[in-house]
Amino acid sequence: MKENGKFFVGLGGVALVVTYLIWTGVSESMLYYLTPVELMARVEQDPTFHQVGVKVSGRVERGSWSRAEDELLHHFTVIDLLDESVRFPVEYRDILPDTFNDTENVDVVIEGRFREDGVFEATVVLAKCGSRYEATAEELLG
Amino acid sequence: MILLGELALWIALPVGIWGAVAGFVGGRKERGDLVLSGEHCVYAVFFLLVLTSAGIITAFVTDNFEYWYVANYSNRELPLFYKVAGLWAGQRGSLVFWVLLLSFFSAAAVFTNRTKNREFMPYVVGVLLTISSFFLVVLLFADVNPFERLPFAPADGRGLNPQLQNYWMTIHPPTLYLGFTAFTIPFAFAMSALLSGKLDTRWILITRRWILLSWFFLANGIIFGMRWAYEMLGWGGFWFWDPVENASLLPWLAATAFLHSIQIQENRGMLKVWNMGLVTLTFLLTIFATFLTRSGLIESVHTFAENTKIAFIFLAFMGVMAGCSALLIAWRYPQLKSENQIQSFLSRESAFLFNNLILLGAAFSILWGTLFPLITEGLTGTAIAVGPPFFNRVNLPIGLALMALMGIGPVIAWRRASRRNLVKNFRMPVIVGLMVVAALFLRGVHHGMALLTFGLSAFVMTIIIVEFVKGTKARARIEGEGHLLALYHLVSRNRRRWGGYIVHVGVVMIFTAFAGVAFNRELIQTVDPGDTITIGSPFGHEYTLTYQGLSSPRGKNMVRQAVALMTVERNGRPIESLTAEKVLYVKWESSPLTIVGINSYILEDLYLILENVNDLGGAFENEAGAQRATFKVQVNVLVGWIWYGGFVVTLGGIIAMWPSRGSTRTAPRTKTGGKRPALAARS
Repeated sequence: MKENGKFFVGLGGVALVVTYLIWTGVSESMLYYLTPVELMARVEQDPTFHQVGVKVSGRVERGSWSRAEDELLHHFTVIDLLDESVRFPVEYRDILPDTFNDTENVDVVIEGRFREDGVFEATVVLAKCGSRYEATAEELLG
Repeated sequence: MILLGELALWIALPVGIWGAVAGFVGGRKERGDLVLSGEHCVYAVFFLLVLTSAGIITAFVTDNFEYWYVANYSNRELPLFYKVAGLWAGQRGSLVFWVLLLSFFSAAAVFTNRTKNREFMPYVVGVLLTISSFFLVVLLFADVNPFERLPFAPADGRGLNPQLQNYWMTIHPPTLYLGFTAFTIPFAFAMSALLSGKLDTRWILITRRWILLSWFFLANGIIFGMRWAYEMLGWGGFWFWDPVENASLLPWLAATAFLHSIQIQENRGMLKVWNMGLVTLTFLLTIFATFLTRSGLIESVHTFAENTKIAFIFLAFMGVMAGCSALLIAWRYPQLKSENQIQSFLSRESAFLFNNLILLGAAFSILWGTLFPLITEGLTGTAIAVGPPFFNRVNLPIGLALMALMGIGPVIAWRRASRRNLVKNFRMPVIVGLMVVAALFLRGVHHGMALLTFGLSAFVMTIIIVEFVKGTKARARIEGEGHLLALYHLVSRNRRRWGGYIVHVGVVMIFTAFAGVAFNRELIQTVDPGDTITIGSPFGHEYTLTYQGLSSPRGKNMVRQAVALMTVERNGRPIESLTAEKVLYVKWESSPLTIVGINSYILEDLYLILENVNDLGGAFENEAGAQRATFKVQVNVLVGWIWYGGFVVTLGGIIAMWPSRGSTRTAPRTKTGGKRPALAARS
């Protein structure tokens, strides 16, 4: 019985360590996952939100992408999926995924910080060609 | 053929339902005729799904764009290879493919057990056909019928996503699916054991190979996925903790835990309830992974509503399965009492239990992180996401602990390890591990976690090598055999044990490769033809890449292609050159695909990405002035060891699964390995 007791203390210890790792892991790497509309509302309410890392899902505005000459600096505009009047410029310095473009409806998830000057400084850009994955009958006709 | 396939899909459902009912009723009432009828239904469902799949493939191959599914995933110019693979390119076909594989494995399980283990079969048939029928219901009634027709036939399809136009596409998804579906067989036997009250370890002994088979395919499927990401996605890594990747990892973690915990039940008659729970959990995770990989539930948190119907159907099914199995376990609980108790903290049982707990801890943390946005949105209204830093932070210590256990588990004694056992088995490996750490430190490796990983690798490797050497020597001495022959006999006498050790070697190699990431180097540079890019390797040498310019050939199913050529020198000596490309595929003209160039060496890869061509349109037209391009060059340290490790895992897995001569299956197994007496019958 004594050994069993010791054993369960060990198991409990492992469970505690895993819980601790998850807990600290979450608190150190968590990001608010917002839509552009929600982001604007948050920033309005609480200006310190400019300092916090956020993840935003929206759509690339058509024709908004430009790239600095000879440099990996990309600029584009992200609009809200539902309310197209809500928009903000994005700055991103790395390789864009292949699925990214500004000629179709491309949904993006960007991670980074919404700076005080109103530019979103992205560190991660994930793109999904929303309309390209599965098409409706009307789209197939065209 | 296509109509026949559609018809077969409709017929398969009533056949499946009848077979499931016949199995359950036949088992309950002990009606042999019903059981046989159920078994025939298993074969029939397999046959019908072969027809269904053949129908879908025919629709693809004959460019029948009248079918919504074909129109969305193919085009006329698509190479035949990918048209056939169209069966599993999208959600609808994937579901058919899933049932096809499940029905194949079901038929194989029924066939191999046609003369033995009969008392399990009625309920096995019932459970397997219930699951198949569920998927058939989804296919026919949840708006995902692959035979749905458009009111007109488009002139051409929309083409296959270029990222899928790669040979890994034909290998990776089927391998994972084989792993997912194969695990249904052990689950069915477990449920049958509960239903029929045959609660000894027989269900485990019968399905041992199935468990290994499933594990083997899952492991390979995941490694193939890494390889695909590394070659295709063009960002230089192999794992991104993306929800879909995570989903495939979860059942593997649970299956790994299960693979170890059943050994405790076999040897010590403990953990019966735990194993029942674990087999159910693993099965549910395979369903979860199937569902998640094709529904896009997590990435698009904000478009969740689109997939509601199928999401709820799957969640309901998983809930029902979990509930049924929990009720059955509760019902049989008194008969699932442990035959023994843990005797010591320092014992193999204990090491295996810790391994289980840690593996499940890893699975839980990954599931938690993957579902975190959904959970937080449900609870607080605001979604909170966690990214790769979370997963790395949590799983790095877990991985290291697992490595340590991989060394300890196989050599620590059952029941209670004596001080002598510990000192004898661990003194040398610990010393070797410490020496490796010291040597690397002196050579300038100062990354703490990486040092710990390398030290643990050396520790585990030493233990496994010592085991092999000891076993071979003992056998050579007792049997008077040569060492090679002794090694061969040693392994073939207890394939699961020695195959398992080889798998451990492969896994250690893969973990070691992960630590290599800490030493990767990368560089981004814009160049004109004739310019050079120089990047140093952490091993001290230097690569010089000279940009030779762009050319634009045109491959099959491609609109245009821009291929950049780099000649490469290593410390001034010319070596194999590299190409990196941007390709426009037919039907995907707006997003060029990046194709990377890789030179692989034993300790590192030189990895080239064509990030951008200043005037891509000009480059496609072969204009001389449009040559300036931006490249990302990486030196990826030890990445090749993931694939080498994968080969070793495959080798070990095959050894462990290889059918043994004669029926020694239910005989009690000795744990002395090579020290088995010479008189052991050669059956």
